[in-house]
Amino acid sequence: MMWLIAQGEAKAVWGIFAEGALVDFFIVLALAVLVWVMIARARTGRKIPTIKKVAGLEAVDEAIGRATEMGRPVTFIPGIQSIDNPQTLAALGIIAHVSRQCARYDTRFLALTCDPLPYAVIEEITRQAYLEEGRPDAFNPDDVRFLSAEQFAFCGACIGIFERERPAANIMVGSFYAESLILAETGSFQGMIQIGGTANTHQLPFFVAACDYALIGEEIYAASAYLSKEPVMYGTVVGQDILKIAIWLLILVGCIWATIDPSTTWLKSLLKN
Amino acid sequence: MILTVLSSLVVIFSQYFYLGKQWNLMEYLNNWFQISYAVALALGFVNLTVIHWKNIQRKREGWVFSIILLLTMYGYLIVGLAEWSFEGPIFGWIYENIMAALSAAIFSMVAFFITSAAYRAFRVRTKEATILLVCAVLVMLGRAPIGDAIWKSWLGGWSGFVNQWMMGTLNMAAMRAITLGAYVGGFATALRIMLGLERAHIGGTGTQ
Repeated sequence: MMWLIAQGEAKAVWGIFAEGALVDFFIVLALAVLVWVMIARARTGRKIPTIKKVAGLEAVDEAIGRATEMGRPVTFIPGIQSIDNPQTLAALGIIAHVSRQCARYDTRFLALTCDPLPYAVIEEITRQAYLEEGRPDAFNPDDVRFLSAEQFAFCGACIGIFERERPAANIMVGSFYAESLILAETGSFQGMIQIGGTANTHQLPFFVAACDYALIGEEIYAASAYLSKEPVMYGTVVGQDILKIAIWLLILVGCIWATIDPSTTWLKSLLKN
Repeated sequence: MILTVLSSLVVIFSQYFYLGKQWNLMEYLNNWFQISYAVALALGFVNLTVIHWKNIQRKREGWVFSIILLLTMYGYLIVGLAEWSFEGPIFGWIYENIMAALSAAIFSMVAFFITSAAYRAFRVRTKEATILLVCAVLVMLGRAPIGDAIWKSWLGGWSGFVNQWMMGTLNMAAMRAITLGAYVGGFATALRIMLGLERAHIGGTGTQ
């Protein structure tokens, strides 16, 4: 461990925590406990609160069904960020579902990637999906494509594929930037059924305007749990919702406190730890 | 799966604990990530080559573009390796004068797409679309010089108020709510992956 010793200049809180990470750690711990409680309840068959219907996720199977009827492909774009981005990870969960459905209904599935790491993982997910559906021969590795690591070169390549392959459905979930509107509008002009989802607030209006269904922010993170329809996975979503309510309450208390006593700083100081 | 759990524990240790910060564990993890990225980039390179080589062999629609793509890709690689620098004269020139210009050309298309998307979004069909249209007109007027001139004649010193209130209060509140929800959602996703409930990242198709 010699090479690890004393390289940084961190300060300690309570002797073990890094400065500024104490409250974050307890929030993570609270979420872990909440999720664990909900999973335990689901596993023992006890009732857990239900989660609302998400139109965008309900429409995923509808979009695949439409592509199947038309005999045209389904395209999936998992954003332009790498696998260290949580939105890309959320997209992988949806890809697993979409590729399985496509394999089941013998619909061509095209995954278009801008980053080599998700590309390698998506190829494996898709291969596995076809295998699990008993159709390994139908899997075509050329349908999972790494197009370019350059944002607008990738965008141009996607437009070209939309024009040539004429997909019936296009699902875009992940971290998108300036290319979101170009892709969504091109898809819209081609009459595709489009589902767009991102947690990047600056791109959300574009998806809302140009796609048939939009997944807003946290909905993309709940997608894999929602699509799996497993109570244990539902439990994790309920756990996150409870934590969210607790945070809203904290914000509300903070607002009221700051209104009554604008000079107060204790809550701010507490959260800074 | 074991690797995922171990990596998650290392990240938690490096982010929240004093010793993790002191040892700069995140730096080591980032280095590993860069190495994995380089290996995966080679995979992507091979994928592009295979797809476009097949296009040329089978003379699929647009196969001429596949030749251009392969020539450009390998040509640029050779130039980069020959100059051994991102700032080499030919490598840099190609990037500055071709890549940047082409990227800018595609980016400029956003302006036209915004117009068509805005037309569809602002069509007055429902109550919500009407509210959207009214708000959009007020914000656009608030952001353009002509709007400022109109408001000033009516409202004097209050001219920027409507625009600022809509963007700073209504819009900001909604954006922050979405962002906060997304952060909590991201947390929950990370936890599901760490607990092995979600396995798509290791090539599995589903959940537990």
